[in-house]
Amino acid sequence: MKQIFTIVRNSVLTLLTLLTLQTTTFAQEETTQDTTVQEKPKERPVRAAFESGLLFDNATTTLHPSKSLEFILQHRFGNTENGIHDLYGIYGAANIRFGLNYSLLDNLNIGIGTTKYNMMQDLQLKYRIIEQTRSNSIPVTVMLYEVIGIDGSPDSKWDQSVGSTSYKFGNRMSYFTQLLVSRSFNDHLSLQAGGAFTHYSCVDSVYNHDRISLSFAGRYKFSPQGSFIIAGDFPLDITGIKDYKKDSDANTIIYDKPNLTVGFEISTSTHVFQIYLGSAKGILPQEDTMWNNNDFFNQGIMIGFNLTRLWNF
Amino acid sequence: MKNSIKLIAIICATVLFVTANMAMAQKAGGPWTFPAKYKAMKSTVKAGDASIMSVGKDMYNKHCKSCHGTKGLGDGPKAANLKTSTGDFSTAAFQAHSDGELYYMSFIGRDEMPNFEKKILDEADRWAVIGYIRTLKK
Repeated sequence: MKQIFTIVRNSVLTLLTLLTLQTTTFAQEETTQDTTVQEKPKERPVRAAFESGLLFDNATTTLHPSKSLEFILQHRFGNTENGIHDLYGIYGAANIRFGLNYSLLDNLNIGIGTTKYNMMQDLQLKYRIIEQTRSNSIPVTVMLYEVIGIDGSPDSKWDQSVGSTSYKFGNRMSYFTQLLVSRSFNDHLSLQAGGAFTHYSCVDSVYNHDRISLSFAGRYKFSPQGSFIIAGDFPLDITGIKDYKKDSDANTIIYDKPNLTVGFEISTSTHVFQIYLGSAKGILPQEDTMWNNNDFFNQGIMIGFNLTRLWNF
Repeated sequence: MKNSIKLIAIICATVLFVTANMAMAQKAGGPWTFPAKYKAMKSTVKAGDASIMSVGKDMYNKHCKSCHGTKGLGDGPKAANLKTSTGDFSTAAFQAHSDGELYYMSFIGRDEMPNFEKKILDEADRWAVIGYIRTLKK
């Protein structure tokens, strides 16, 4: 399995290197041509497909311009299954994440964050490979999204699972790599789809280290500031990447439920507010993809909200 | 004696009220200085273009309305917290500004008026907003 992970990692790095070299080559060609050929009209990118780089727990292809700083607060209340007894999860155990994203370039964004569950610390990177244009010469925006998670739980969590002598810092690591494709159909409707590979360095013996998932997201903007938003992540059951081949016993919790979310978004010049119903509690995409056993259609719903604040420098 | 005390109390209260309001009153923004580059700019969006009432209006409502108000009268919910009056877009004096001057005021800004170049990235979209501000003339 390590081999597969290494292959995927190397492929992504190679792709990034090729894209960077390709962009540099194009830039040089354009400079040379400027002296001899009349300048072509500049292609205009479409308006952002989504209001923020964040849609519930999912990343979107939206990136803010360079030197923009975005503060993110993500909050997930407890499960609504107890009804009025804990006010539909509002008095229940919550998960929360604080994050900061900074746009180094117009097409490159880095981020850090900290999440309550498992004391997860995360590093994030978003790189926009191509951007949809208004002339439709490029019909979609394509983005690479990477999240590196570091589980901050006490060492004893791994002492129990892999033996006290074999604990390593690397056991805490998890990786989520996603390729996102979005299209803004008009000023109201934007859709996005993606494929992701999740890897956990250390899991309990009855679980798998890797998972491939598909995701989708959509926005219907019905007013200058209001939108309906929806998203889903679907873990795939692919035998080829499983390292635990036995049938699970009755006591094993199966984490294979999709993460479905539906909500409402209000955006202003500097803020985005999302309130929603969702089925996964992890907040980080690898946690949602790997460890969700809540069924959206069977008492597995939680109320959540996100807040973002944007500064341009 | 009682009447005198009442009178003094009323005078004191009045003085306090007027002083407090004078201190809180917004000052009008001073005259703008426009760089030549912006003064010479002409809108690329013609009056009556469809983008004015779609893109321009949407962007105005998202980015400008909270301070400048729905009709540009300077009565948005955030306006009262500013030190400087946001002005009135419906007046002839405001509308007498050239396209380039309105562009400079709207997107470059100064003091409490923030720069909006990174909020509205596309040049034609910015002109659509200026076009919409033109429609607010009384």
